[in-house]
Amino acid sequence: MDDLHMDALVIGGGIAGMQSALDLGDQGFQVALVERDPSIGGRMITLSKVFPTLDCCSCITTPKMSAVAHHPNIHLYTYCEIQSVQEHGAGFDVSILQKPRYVDISKCTGCRECEYECPITVPSPFDRNLGAYRAIRVPFSTAVPQKAVLDPEYCLWCGKCEQKCPVEAIDFSQQPETFTIEADSIIMATGFDLTPVSTKKEYGAGKLHNVIDPLMMERFLAPTGPYGRVLRPGDGKEPGSIAYVQCAGSRDETLGITYCSRVCCMYAIKQAMLLNGALPMADITIYYMDIRTFGKGYEQFYQNAKAMGVNFVRGKVASIREDADQNPILKVEMTDTGEIVEQTFDLVVLSQGIVPASHPTVSLPLGSDGFISVPAPDSAPCVTGRPGIFVTGTAAGPMDIVDSIVSASAAAAEASAYIRENGSRLEVEKEALYA
Amino acid sequence: MPENQQPRIGVYICHCGGNISGAVQCESVAKALKGLPNVTITRTDESMCSDAGQSLIEKDIQELGINRVVVGACAPMLHEQTFRGAVTRAGLNPFLYHHVGLREQDSWVHGHDKTAATDKALRLMSAGVAKARLLQPLDPIRLGAEKHALVIGGGVAGLRAALDIARQGLRVTLIEKSPFLGGRMAQLETVFPTEEEARALLHDLIQKVTAHPNVTIFMGAEVMGVSGYVGNFTIQVKQHSRGVSDDNAEALMSACTQEVPDPFNYGLTKRKVIYRPYEGCYSSTPAVDWDHYDGRPFDVNGWPIELKDEPKSFELNVGAVVVATGFDPYTPPQGEYGFGELPQVVTLPQLIRHLALSKDGKSLQWNGRAVRDVALIHCVGSRQVDGVHQPQEDGQVNNYCSRVCCTASLHMTADLHKRYPELNIYDLHQDIRTYGRGHEEYYRHALEDGVRFLRYNGEEVPEVSPAPQGDSHPVLVKVKDMLTYGEEIEIPVDLVVLAVGFMPRDLHGLDKMLKISRGNDRFLLEVHPKLRPVETAVKGVILAGSAQGPMNIQESLSAASAAAAKVASLLGRGKVELPPFVAAVDVEKCNGTGACVEACVYEGAIALQTFNENGEEVKRAVITPANCVGCGACVAVCPNNAVNVQGWTLAQYEAMVEAIGMDLPAMTEVTA
Ligand SMILES: Cc1cc2nc3c(=O)[nH]c(=O)nc-3n(C[C@H](O)[C@H](O)[C@H](O)COP(=O)(O)OP(=O)(O)OC[C@H]3O[C@@H](n4cnc5c(N)ncnc54)[C@H](O)[C@@H]3O)c2cc1C
Ligand SMILES: Cc1cc2nc3c(=O)[nH]c(=O)nc-3n(C[C@H](O)[C@H](O)[C@H](O)COP(=O)(O)OP(=O)(O)OC[C@H]3O[C@@H](n4cnc5c(N)ncnc54)[C@H](O)[C@@H]3O)c2cc1C
Ligand code: SF4
Repeated sequence: MDDLHMDALVIGGGIAGMQSALDLGDQGFQVALVERDPSIGGRMITLSKVFPTLDCCSCITTPKMSAVAHHPNIHLYTYCEIQSVQEHGAGFDVSILQKPRYVDISKCTGCRECEYECPITVPSPFDRNLGAYRAIRVPFSTAVPQKAVLDPEYCLWCGKCEQKCPVEAIDFSQQPETFTIEADSIIMATGFDLTPVSTKKEYGAGKLHNVIDPLMMERFLAPTGPYGRVLRPGDGKEPGSIAYVQCAGSRDETLGITYCSRVCCMYAIKQAMLLNGALPMADITIYYMDIRTFGKGYEQFYQNAKAMGVNFVRGKVASIREDADQNPILKVEMTDTGEIVEQTFDLVVLSQGIVPASHPTVSLPLGSDGFISVPAPDSAPCVTGRPGIFVTGTAAGPMDIVDSIVSASAAAAEASAYIRENGSRLEVEKEALYA
Repeated sequence: MPENQQPRIGVYICHCGGNISGAVQCESVAKALKGLPNVTITRTDESMCSDAGQSLIEKDIQELGINRVVVGACAPMLHEQTFRGAVTRAGLNPFLYHHVGLREQDSWVHGHDKTAATDKALRLMSAGVAKARLLQPLDPIRLGAEKHALVIGGGVAGLRAALDIARQGLRVTLIEKSPFLGGRMAQLETVFPTEEEARALLHDLIQKVTAHPNVTIFMGAEVMGVSGYVGNFTIQVKQHSRGVSDDNAEALMSACTQEVPDPFNYGLTKRKVIYRPYEGCYSSTPAVDWDHYDGRPFDVNGWPIELKDEPKSFELNVGAVVVATGFDPYTPPQGEYGFGELPQVVTLPQLIRHLALSKDGKSLQWNGRAVRDVALIHCVGSRQVDGVHQPQEDGQVNNYCSRVCCTASLHMTADLHKRYPELNIYDLHQDIRTYGRGHEEYYRHALEDGVRFLRYNGEEVPEVSPAPQGDSHPVLVKVKDMLTYGEEIEIPVDLVVLAVGFMPRDLHGLDKMLKISRGNDRFLLEVHPKLRPVETAVKGVILAGSAQGPMNIQESLSAASAAAAKVASLLGRGKVELPPFVAAVDVEKCNGTGACVEACVYEGAIALQTFNENGEEVKRAVITPANCVGCGACVAVCPNNAVNVQGWTLAQYEAMVEAIGMDLPAMTEVTA
């Protein structure tokens, strides 16, 4: 591939990265959006409904994805890894590795014939491994781009897909390719992962059958989810009682994660409300230290959940074990009474917090919390420690979708000002554009 | 042109990820619609708005020659634009598209009755098809746009918005109501989470703004009127006189004897009516407080000098407006937690000012006494409960969380502890909401500093009363503390601090002039709380900062920069496009009655003009599309049916009404 010039390069195609790219593209800048997964959409596309509006998540995410895909000024590079970032004047040379899809995306139409033919079933990370898909597949029904990708880890190279593909798009000979983009500015939108609980032995270290993470619950609740209903992963039974353990992996010195993850109170309340609809008979209890529903309309959302009958119990969950029937048993120190009680549930959701997703090879100063450092949050909330590189969304610390979108537009404003002030290499075209 | 051929209608019904298909039998509806005249294809999809869904439409247009498209999905507000985009990409005029709201108008409200929901869906869709048959291609109205924006409010959000708009190469005018810039932030000392000096940060920002060649600032100025639309707003501005100049200011200030409570210090001190709010303020020229100046002349070296406000009025032409009018701290009504009755009860903003005015010493002084014990009560004026708290004028309590006060409170306890280590601090809260990056640390430090935390329930708020005569402390705070299992605790204190929440400022009609709505919480309302958080329902009117809801400085800055990005996208090209849904006159039918002109309330939208028709002078109505909002008032009064709103013509309405009432042959089968 040729070397390319761009005004801005956005790393990460979640909601934050997409919004930054759209804001820059709308202003007429040329933007590269680089995503490591085969589709853009980030975490948001995997959610069920979003608080506080309870909009269906794919309904509000897919149009953004589509707008990015069709934008004349946005150039999408999916399934790519950043290899290095080198200063070049006021801008950067970014070296990027295109991972092989084993599918020629200029030919693939997304018809999925290959997928229907493939004999190998593999767990689907899109469904938090609750569901399965094929070794070659379009990653999920609303993926952008709608192009197949083959997973070499599982593929038996049986060649069935190649025979079946009507447009001869399968290409087993693809190799990783490296190319360089020259960009005047960079926006980091690399997002988050859940706080790992594998070291949290008190909570079963991820080994208890009916203790799940909140993204799994999102998939259970999503209309496009693997089962279309909520069930216990341990035995497929419908749960009659569900507990949420708040601050599981946040505000927890023993894990070294002392900050508040900001979104867990709200997603737990949201899931509780959705569960109330999906399983009207189920009892839902949320164990918490503080309920932090601080956003616009969020306190009212919390009060609505209380009125719906969701149990909010102030208590610290000391430990979780399971009984012979794999029912999780919580040991709770009740704040309001001082008692220590044990309570058995059918299903437990650990309201895990947010940690930074693994970073690409962009060396940037990090904060003590591990997120990309923002040296002057009270004067420049999107500016990192490296000139020309900006940060948005959960790459800059826990935040919800609306805060991510605001920060994404703010990062776009910073980046565009930087591009103008530091003499864009595309100045000639830009002048024409703004004339 | 495919659009002029016989209609070939493509009909698409979205499941909306279960939102619609949960109540409506989408497949049956699609099947029933297939039989309608001109319907070439019907399809259903899990998610029509996804890229795959949109491609279905594009492909059908290209491969099946579809030339009218109807999608039944969520509200048009969400996705009408999305589908117009898809239609355009396939080479069709975007206005040959019709959107039917099957979610908000049907499945969400009739979810309990699937048969009825399906029947309604079918009728709505069939009306959509009837309209689609009559759709004609339209062109958006293209207008030049001023590459100039107005920012209203010179607090941290307005300043930042102005700077960022200027940095995008656009001109910007900032209007601040008070004679000085900085807003509420100027009243703070150090700020969380960086512990920087608020006024130093502001000073930096103001310097950048005032130094930028694209920025013009008017202080002591207000918006008096707004007309126009995105790209071309006309703003009437009134600017008050400053009253003094650098030459005479010092002499007048020393001659001035009239004093009023100083709002900068929330009434804790007094200041003259010629004033600077604080040292280092911008502008450094003092100003006259016209609201309070009693009009008496000043005696300067024996000369009586009378000052007069001679306001100037002028107009600005701007393409977009950013509203950054900020917040007021909640003022408790007389008696809430003893406020206004007990001199030992203050608000947190007042305490910040008091500390700024206090000298360091062994102990904090209040009212001439050393403070040994202080109680800080959270959520005053926030998270209020119906029936427990006194409602505001509109009958509603403030049921929202003000989000800043928890961290601001613990930031205060840290400061108090540092300055007066002997002080006992009691913190009465419901939940501690130190959510932001670097906020939880304040909570941890407060615990380490020995701040005593007590937790009350929202329905059982603490009581503040004067202590009985002879007690060691003047005030008694009673609280049912949930951290000690509901024990009733009495705390004798010398000072009570109320962590008051945020209230939107009184905008004196500005919101109405700009046609911005307010939410239930009375803050200015964004158009979509999730996806379009800084835009309003009025194109070209954008929100920044705490006028929209409680925000800290960092959040206000981000919102302001985001607003600047939106302004740059709107105005950067110097052109805007407006939808073509405006009135159009059929000159053949018009005979110049003028009823339409009388019915229209929008200035310059419709007028009678004289034409020469076969040598005869006739009057005909003429529309100026840029000023027409497409409300249809003229359509309703025209005796000759000569006016129509484009895209929503009378003929289209009639066809829709007819279709909606008609039982389709397949309907009985579908909904049986
Ligand atoms: C269980 C749960 C429920 C939630 N529910 C809600 C809700 O209802 N409402 C709400 O407002 N918020 C909710 N949130 C929060 C919401 O998910 C986040 O605010 C939002 O997804 C953050 O978007 P982002 O773009 O910052 O990050 P992400 O969505 O994580 O996107 C980051 C993107 O960057 C890519 N990337 C990462 N590293 C690299 C790299 N090195 N190179 C290239 N690409 C890379 C990733 O693959 C990903 O696509 C919820 C969170 C959780 C955990
Ligand atoms: C007690 C307290 C402590 C705080 N401490 C911190 C802290 O430590 N850290 C932190 O990050 N945040 C803190 N905050 C929050 C911070 O004060 C706000 O985030 C910030 O001031 C919001 O700025 P703004 O520009 O939105 O509004 P404002 O500061 O209110 O500015 C609005 C401006 O608009 C002007 N205006 C209003 N109406 C009109 C009109 N009609 N026409 C023209 N001009 C108009 C006003 O005069 C004002 O100058 C604190 C808040 C409180 C109450
Ligand atoms: S931030 Fe804290 S004090 Fe303020 S309203 Fe919310 S919970 Fe109450």
